[in-house]
Amino acid sequence: MTADTRPRVLVVDDAATVRLYHTSLLTEAGFEVAEAANGLEAVEAALSTEFDLFVVDVNMPKMNGYTCVETLRSETVGTAAPVLMISTEDRPGDADRAYQAGANLYLVKPVAGDRLVRIATMLTTGKEE
Amino acid sequence: MGLVRKQAPQQPEEVLPPEKPSVESLLRQLDDADPDCRREAALGLVGVAEAVPALLARVAVETETNVRDAVLTTLAAHDTETVAGGLAVHLASDDAALRTSVAEALATMRGSVLSLMPSLLAAPDHDVRVMTAMVLADLAHPDAPVWLTRMIAEDPHPNVVTAAIDALLPAATAEHAAVLEAAVQRFPDDPFLRFTVQAALPRLTGTA
Amino acid sequence: MASAPATGAGLSDADFTRFCEYFYKRTGIHFTPGKRYFVDKRIENCIRDSPYDTFGSWFAALRMSDKSAMLQDLINQLTVNETYFLREDYQFDAMLSTVLPNVLKDRGGLGRIVGPVKILSLPCSTGEEPYSIALRLLEEWEQIDHVDVEIHGADIDSEVLAKAAHASYGERSLQRVPKPWINKYFNPVGSGRYQVDEGIRSAVTLHRVNVCDTAAMRAFRDFDVIFCRNVLIYFDELSSRRAAENLYGAMRPGGYLFLGHSESMSRISPIFTPTRLPEGIVYQRPTGAK
Repeated sequence: MTADTRPRVLVVDDAATVRLYHTSLLTEAGFEVAEAANGLEAVEAALSTEFDLFVVDVNMPKMNGYTCVETLRSETVGTAAPVLMISTEDRPGDADRAYQAGANLYLVKPVAGDRLVRIATMLTTGKEE
Repeated sequence: MGLVRKQAPQQPEEVLPPEKPSVESLLRQLDDADPDCRREAALGLVGVAEAVPALLARVAVETETNVRDAVLTTLAAHDTETVAGGLAVHLASDDAALRTSVAEALATMRGSVLSLMPSLLAAPDHDVRVMTAMVLADLAHPDAPVWLTRMIAEDPHPNVVTAAIDALLPAATAEHAAVLEAAVQRFPDDPFLRFTVQAALPRLTGTA
Repeated sequence: MASAPATGAGLSDADFTRFCEYFYKRTGIHFTPGKRYFVDKRIENCIRDSPYDTFGSWFAALRMSDKSAMLQDLINQLTVNETYFLREDYQFDAMLSTVLPNVLKDRGGLGRIVGPVKILSLPCSTGEEPYSIALRLLEEWEQIDHVDVEIHGADIDSEVLAKAAHASYGERSLQRVPKPWINKYFNPVGSGRYQVDEGIRSAVTLHRVNVCDTAAMRAFRDFDVIFCRNVLIYFDELSSRRAAENLYGAMRPGGYLFLGHSESMSRISPIFTPTRLPEGIVYQRPTGAK
């Protein structure tokens, strides 16, 4: 029996303030939260730890969000855990690009706290059914 | 079998590089069908000022990220307004990998990138202004906070303002408290902006 | 600015947080609250050695420097950088248990492999790392008698290379080497020092090179395994990218790259693919097969 059965989420964003915001909301909602500052750090974290949910920004240095999600889905990591992409970008085609990469959902910032929690909960509990 | 030695000498060898290809052949190689050849060309053209136009042209069309990264590393070492301007156009790109890797390169160009700020801050596309804040976040220049403060005070788009706030906070002092509070007043319905400023103020004003 | 002067009272909570965020952003290294005292003391040392009086002024200068002497000094203070035999040898474990078997398989298998397996230690410093690799291979790799292995050491500093060539070491450097290995592979040379056997010394090729120098690094080709530990972290953004690109060019497709245990490519370059081994993360040059 594991001591900590909270669902594990990885918050991926180069902006420390965004990580703080999403981490606070998700921690308060009962998630165990880890952070990564870019897509490559996220891939390395996913190789070492099993996550139940990824919350991924798009514009990040070293490895952007789309490449990150593609890599998470590829045989490099091969995770089937849900991926929520959150970005400032709202160009036409951005959401499609996210789904092509393997994301489950694409939201444009800013995301209200209760909405983020509702969606994160739905994505993780939905998975366990 | 076992541990074998490549050559006889017992003293540490000064590495003699192989024959270096000419600039002309490297420039041709920059367009080779083989990505490894293009990558080698980009690396080989380090420090060659006359290669800048060809390298800038490559950034726009290169599809292999490893090659493009090598081209950008070579270009960024030329910390000039020509290169900065030639790269900055891609901040508007629809290709996330291209615009973010260009932003990374620009953030290393301390000498030249600030000359672009007036036009970048005035860019009609707010996504470009968000990318500009990303550049300023990593730019090790004492004037970066000045430009960020201006963005926070004046930019009409909340996502640009929050990106600029995030970029400014590591360097922010008590003097910046007023402009941060004013931003919250300008965008009272942005939950993230309010949260961020409320979290940051105590640290800045010494009441943490 | 609300920051405490460096009087030995330690950093304020706010300053510690600011510093940790900056350090994490630059290096990917997290300091847990348990490390607070350690970090405080080291930063105080740095401030004291600097022209600055307060954390605030020192930190502002640090942020402007992008890996100049200031940040290098800080990283030096905060990381363990002593060299000795069998340092971080869980990576040598990984080399033996997974990496070399994969290399053999990728290159046609035992009996079919053409050309030597090539291993590079860069920086090799005073030689402990390449000689450690040699000892582990000789003692623990079953295939060592059936495969040619070239071990190369490279460093920018000719003084340390001269010491590596001479290969005599004292107790501190040898503390982790099992006594039987010392008897088997070293000869006492007086003053408590032991010298690596001539047979092994002559099997390790030493080079003087700057890893950021693309032209010079072209001389290194087709390496199967590269150890590049605890040097890239000191480089500024462009230099570390260039060094990574040069290491990539020195490797065979599918070749393996080990960084120091607290280092990550996430702050350097995405050109390598991270892979998880039981012993930790290792990086590979992609094979190009899609």
